[in-house]
Amino acid sequence: MPSLAARIAWLAAGTALAATAAAQSPEAHGIAGFWSLSFGALPPRRNPSPTEAALMAEFPRGTVLLGDAGAVEFAPGDYGGLELRESLREAAKSYDPAAQTEVSLTCRPPGLIYSMQGPFPIEVFEGRDLIVIKLEYFDLVRIVFMNESEHDADWPHSPTGHSIGRWDGDTLIVDTVKLTAGTLFNNGVDHTEDAHLVERFELADPNTLVVTQQFTDPGSFTGTAARVLAFTRGQDHVYPYDCDPTYGLAIDSREGPAAR
Amino acid sequence: MNNATVLPSFVAGLMLAASAAAHHSAPVFYKVNERVTISGTVTEFRFSNPHAILKLDVVAENGETQHWTAETTSPSILRRRGWSQQSVEAGERVTLEGMPSVDGSYLVRIVRAFRADGTEIGVPRGTDN
Repeated sequence: MPSLAARIAWLAAGTALAATAAAQSPEAHGIAGFWSLSFGALPPRRNPSPTEAALMAEFPRGTVLLGDAGAVEFAPGDYGGLELRESLREAAKSYDPAAQTEVSLTCRPPGLIYSMQGPFPIEVFEGRDLIVIKLEYFDLVRIVFMNESEHDADWPHSPTGHSIGRWDGDTLIVDTVKLTAGTLFNNGVDHTEDAHLVERFELADPNTLVVTQQFTDPGSFTGTAARVLAFTRGQDHVYPYDCDPTYGLAIDSREGPAAR
Repeated sequence: MNNATVLPSFVAGLMLAASAAAHHSAPVFYKVNERVTISGTVTEFRFSNPHAILKLDVVAENGETQHWTAETTSPSILRRRGWSQQSVEAGERVTLEGMPSVDGSYLVRIVRAFRADGTEIGVPRGTDN
């Protein structure tokens, strides 16, 4: 686990980058600000809005649209219709949820593919050369390089990976690789380090930000998976997450007739 | 008085959205479509991420004191609904509505919490905040 000093340094670096990004914004597209993910139903659990439908039209044919975006979570054994590799499906059967409360794992960030769709706010700082996205969830800070057109082959894997972005009109397209292997559904299925994530950010109106994520990972599932997210603008900032690793001890010390 | 009561599950869809949080998966630990109500005296309350923990003593019908553990969604989210470390104090009597544990232990995932006078703790939220 990183030391407190290292975490503070990382957060300070993220804040400094955010300030830099904000200062570099010659032609803002309006996505900067504080955004809360909708707690209500999202596609495919409701019909898509016109903006959502337009972004969903960019998904490759046969894409599996997952129904666990936002506050919804799949139960153990439910993979949203995704065709998992057999080895992964078998591994998921022996998944031990007790791992979720281990002190060493409790505060390990789950990775971008999962983290972006959790029901936590984000804060976007829009610049010319950088776009910085701070996630409240696990204090993750994303740097999207707008001035690079190719991924850095030597970039180390991390929960936020290496992201390059470009504007297509008013749609921000972010391409991310180098993600640490991490959970897809929070029920025992992980993607590999070769996962490839493409996100599209577009305002449906000044106060509604639609984000789609589509991702592939031939090592863990067939085809393309996707989620649709809708964020609402707020006048706020993301809070420090400051994860407490001893949370799990309280859960593990539970009593009762069936307690472990 | 045994205050543990399993309630009908017809409210499941909306309330699941209200209380589910990521990473520490609710469906893995809890019967998300069922509800239990418990009343007891708070012995500990810790308000930190990833989930706040509330410990309470519940006196069963046979007089036995059951030591329950209750967890909330993320305090980050709860702060915006009016919760804080001072929301609940040790010694206070509360009633909790939540999801019962999958394994039958004295563990509950809080959906709503009430003080002894019936006042709801925090600000109830709508379907979309």
